[in-house]
Amino acid sequence: MDKSIFTTNAALTPALGYSTMIGLGLFSLALAYIVRLYLVRNTHDFIIADRRIGFGFGVGSVIAVWTWAMAVMMSSAMTYQWGLSGLFWFVVPNGIAVMAMVPFARILRRNMPEGYTISEFIALRFQQSKVATGIVTVTMVFGIILEILINLKGTSVVVSTVFSIDWRVATIVGIVCVLAYSYFGGLWTSVMTGTLNTLMITVPAAIVVVAVYDRIPGGAEAVFSAVGAADQRNLSVLRPDAAAGFGITLAFGLLAATVADQTFWQKVWAIKSRDVSRTFLWAGALFYPIPICLGMLGLVGIGYGLVPSDFGGDIAAVGPYIVSHIGLPLTLILLYVLVILAACYSTIDGASAALSSIVAVDIVKRYFPGTSESKLFVITKLSVLAGGVIATVIVLAGIDFTTLVLTTYALKTSVLLPLVFAILWPRTNTIGFVGGIVLAILIGMPIYQFVGELSGTLAIVAISGLTVIVAGLLKPQAFDIASLKDANGATSAPTAGE
Amino acid sequence: MTVYSIIVALGVVATALFIAGFARGLRNAIAEYRSAQPEPNEVPSDTFSVTAAISVVASSIVIALAGFSPKFIYLGPFLVLGTAAACGLAFFLEKRAKR
Repeated sequence: MDKSIFTTNAALTPALGYSTMIGLGLFSLALAYIVRLYLVRNTHDFIIADRRIGFGFGVGSVIAVWTWAMAVMMSSAMTYQWGLSGLFWFVVPNGIAVMAMVPFARILRRNMPEGYTISEFIALRFQQSKVATGIVTVTMVFGIILEILINLKGTSVVVSTVFSIDWRVATIVGIVCVLAYSYFGGLWTSVMTGTLNTLMITVPAAIVVVAVYDRIPGGAEAVFSAVGAADQRNLSVLRPDAAAGFGITLAFGLLAATVADQTFWQKVWAIKSRDVSRTFLWAGALFYPIPICLGMLGLVGIGYGLVPSDFGGDIAAVGPYIVSHIGLPLTLILLYVLVILAACYSTIDGASAALSSIVAVDIVKRYFPGTSESKLFVITKLSVLAGGVIATVIVLAGIDFTTLVLTTYALKTSVLLPLVFAILWPRTNTIGFVGGIVLAILIGMPIYQFVGELSGTLAIVAISGLTVIVAGLLKPQAFDIASLKDANGATSAPTAGE
Repeated sequence: MTVYSIIVALGVVATALFIAGFARGLRNAIAEYRSAQPEPNEVPSDTFSVTAAISVVASSIVIALAGFSPKFIYLGPFLVLGTAAACGLAFFLEKRAKR
């Protein structure tokens, strides 16, 4: 297959790039205005949507927040790097991670129907332990900041590559577009724009991927033959090196990314109680086709024998490079950019909405319980801006955020099993919960850094889980999860209609 | 008819279903908010493990099939249109709010 098919498209000007970014932002802003007008009156509406999010918005918005800009690109990149085994290990744990929320969501929604945040649950579960609650709150905040900055960075890279825009300007334009509409309607805005973004991710993805294959002489048959000729293992899903190389580590990381993430817990308490379980089931199952579809671009990269230096050295760029250089009509290239922008915007606004719930419930109402509703509403809205500004500063400063990625990964993976035990196992006690997280970080992270990702991840998960079990057996607690219903009155959460 | 034209045609249908569902969901949300009727707190006990397992196995099979015949490379794009259509359908499975 002849690589000379890939050429630069001169029509992709910076002005077109700005128009696409700002256009999507303005469209979302118009929707946010409707939301603000009809659905948001106080902090309760802003952070929990009055617990009235229905099945349709639930499914659409969960898919949208789970489809990161990087996920759109990484599905192609993993296929490009490992063949179909890469796609298999990237895709399968992704859907499982969303569906894994179902049992935990069901238990907490049933027993803590008026909840807002997962830190709030930890406070009630461990007798208001400041250490346990503090660790979980910090983990959630770090996770959210990371979600925002990774999506921001990913988007700025793609937009700057496709439209030759300075990546710093692309970063600022992107964050201003998202924060402008997120500020107004909180969770309702995030849910509605996110749902629409799911449409903008799915249909264009299908059309663009088929158009790429349509453009290739010989189509899918030619790509299939070239991929097999390059290495027959590319057409198998059973490569053990893909599992060991990234698959198993990714699987644990993804589980932690849902179960230990306030973005998802906020939705657990905001979706109508009768729809919570089936929403996460549908979202997980319906998410699958998105990376499967986009992963097929990775096969094109293998088929043409592209090397990373062809597209700037970062394999995440293989999908954007193919789409923008294979000679597709401008409209289709813009559709693909829209897929990435939609994924980026929806994840950032979902994370911002989650941050607002943490600030309102776990920080302001916990430490400053006398704060008036009007003041709380303003602080909650400003927190949406604060998260975006912090993430933007980190991206623009050019700071290597490896440390933040590693810290967040360590915290989230360490929190995963203790949190699961706290929900499912009545004997879990505060010492086991806190000790499990601390020991997992102290022992597991050095293993992660010096021995390897797989050994480190397994060590973190094992240490955190075993510590909880040992502590629970030595000094068992007899926690009755149904008691959370009685404790709800003690929660210093914002109330509707104040 | 080429695969591309079929995908575009089905994409239009999926988009129409999605938008119709979205409009219904938006009207429903506003009507419910205005009615201020309290939402019940019951969480159904349905188990979804079989459905979840089927979706995991099905997605694995779809990926594996792309390694057996080039025709299956197009399964992903067709299925992702199913995602859009199913999201639209989800709005119609909601109970309509009393106005």
